[in-house]
Amino acid sequence: MKKIIFLSFLLVSTTCFSQKIIPNINLTTLKGKSVSLESQLSKDKITVLAFWATWCVPCINELDAINDVYEDWQEETSVDIIAIATDDSRTQKRIKPMVNGKGWEYQILLDKNQELKRALNITLIPHVIVLKGNEILYRHTGYAPGAEDELYDIIKKHSK
Amino acid sequence: MTPLLMKKIAIFIIILFPLVSFSQDDSSISYGFESNSQYYLDDSKTGDFLESNRFRSNSFFKIDYSYKNFYVGLQAESYEPKALLNYSPNLDKTNLGLYYIGYKTKKIELTLGHFYEQFGSGLILRSWEDRQLGINNALRGGRVKFSPKEYLHFTSFYAKQRKGFAHSKGNIVGFNSDLDISSALNFENSSFNAGFSYVGRKQKKAETNFDYNNRTDLFSTRLEFSKDDFYSNLEYVAKGKDAVMIQNQIKNAKKGAALLANFGYAKKGLGINATFRRMENMNIYSDREANGNIYNESVVNYLPALTKQHDYLLTNIYVYQAQPQVSFQDPTLIKSGEIGGQLDVYYKIKKGTFLGGKYGTKVALNYSSWHGLKADYDFAGFDYETEFLGFGQKYFSDVSVEVRKKWSKQWNSIFYYVNQSYNKRYIEETFGEINANIFVSEATYKMGKGKSLRFEAQFLATNDDKKNWAGGTIEFNATSKLAIYVNDIYNYGNDDIEQQIHYYNAGGSYTVGAQRFALNYGRQRGGLICIGGVCRNVPESTGISANITMSF
Repeated sequence: MKKIIFLSFLLVSTTCFSQKIIPNINLTTLKGKSVSLESQLSKDKITVLAFWATWCVPCINELDAINDVYEDWQEETSVDIIAIATDDSRTQKRIKPMVNGKGWEYQILLDKNQELKRALNITLIPHVIVLKGNEILYRHTGYAPGAEDELYDIIKKHSK
Repeated sequence: MTPLLMKKIAIFIIILFPLVSFSQDDSSISYGFESNSQYYLDDSKTGDFLESNRFRSNSFFKIDYSYKNFYVGLQAESYEPKALLNYSPNLDKTNLGLYYIGYKTKKIELTLGHFYEQFGSGLILRSWEDRQLGINNALRGGRVKFSPKEYLHFTSFYAKQRKGFAHSKGNIVGFNSDLDISSALNFENSSFNAGFSYVGRKQKKAETNFDYNNRTDLFSTRLEFSKDDFYSNLEYVAKGKDAVMIQNQIKNAKKGAALLANFGYAKKGLGINATFRRMENMNIYSDREANGNIYNESVVNYLPALTKQHDYLLTNIYVYQAQPQVSFQDPTLIKSGEIGGQLDVYYKIKKGTFLGGKYGTKVALNYSSWHGLKADYDFAGFDYETEFLGFGQKYFSDVSVEVRKKWSKQWNSIFYYVNQSYNKRYIEETFGEINANIFVSEATYKMGKGKSLRFEAQFLATNDDKKNWAGGTIEFNATSKLAIYVNDIYNYGNDDIEQQIHYYNAGGSYTVGAQRFALNYGRQRGGLICIGGVCRNVPESTGISANITMSF
């Protein structure tokens, strides 16, 4: 444990100068097509990746809350939100009916065996990542009701 | 830390360091740290802590670095002074759990070292990690992925499977192909995909007269179709003859099979999904001897329970676990697989209607039912002959209704009802049958700026097993960073007054960006902890736990 902490600090201190680029990993659309994440991001525009799962209540609360104001957000900042479902095959088939049943307006991509989630070292969901092009500007774990306002402040700040 | 481990880590740092120090725009780095520690306490109600090491901790450090088309990474794991209760004894001390290096372009990807892989829905192959369950069945070897066209993908690998910090004796070889037929043929309005996989597990046959080979072959064929609002999937897996292990002894050699069919309809405001699955003798382990191990080690494929994953404490007491295995316990308790299905309906009642109100109302229904296979069983000969679509003994059923309603900008509520029927004798191979009704109601009051209060009340009614339970939760988010909670479930209906126990917990968490620290004190109910359809038995325990997670 101590050794791991030591190792972490060693590596962290050597690496804090490198830029944060989102790894370009293939995801699956709801129609079963494989697409690269990079091809879904537009340059110079803010994109929010929201990692969620059909069984994760706070994730759904967050996406429900944002969906209520998504239109306003897009009008003001033209932000795109991509909801990345990390469900494994137990619950994957529930994604499409749930998204439709809830009337969410987001683009949905599937991280079928959590390859992207692992590459980004995400251990807990909900987890949001704010990107400009493919550069990571901000990350956040967890959701408290109302926290979407703080996320929006960050989006606004970077979209100028 | 062993000298060998030091050497391994040193080599990785040497590889990483020059890459990192010259890092430019096309490099990227990500790391994560997670630590789960617990200090176990004696409990006047549930007993003293009798194991060694009251303080135990599981920690993980993972780093990924990529430069242009190359990537490299490692995961160090530490179980010191010992792993948390009921983790596999193979997870011990500090060591490198994973290490890998690879090269990736649009068309090709090469990986050496550890990797995770999944073919289709995982019925034939899936390697994954779940730290809370102590599962990491990553493969270690070589893998090639090749996509000659945007609509055509191939994967093949040769590997051993991770087991604790060691690896399997058996070798696994895999091949997978996925073809997006609609893109290849330029279909405009529909989508049509096909997949084929092969997995072979090679392990020397034991000295026995039963007829099976060193290598066990599995084949999977898949079709996926969608048009307009409809979609469907079909998968069939055939498993070649393999030893049937009963209590660690080879008692027969049988084939296996799995069939998965799925149909759905989804348009704005309404979603319906129906799944059917039949599995017969479908377990496959990288080492035959690992059959039925309680730590979920050496599992090659992914056979989750296809039931709704509930979110509340009392809805997770009677959780179904998939029954793909062959089991001969006594002449009245024989299993060869499972058959059943589930149905999901999601519906949004429109805004402005009587039931919809100002914000609309969201309704979700789920029904699932699982049975044993109908078969002629020969207990003395450890043999059986199944009927293809025959339903045998009922194992489990679950009906649930969820209604989510937003009343105003401040108030939200959820009502949840579940009826469960759980055949404990067949599922856990003990005794008893349980029929339970569970009611949950929760309300959230938002005060703005991330401040909110959430209440939850739960009630489980049953005349079986441990009888009635009641429970509740209060959660307060002081800011979007700081949250505290208390919860309690109380088995007040237990016939044995000594067993009328409160399982209470209190704790808090502090989150800054992607860094989170949580502290918890309480008494943990013993039993199955299930995540993603896979379960692990945990003992009753009382203590203080601390969790740290960081991602960069």
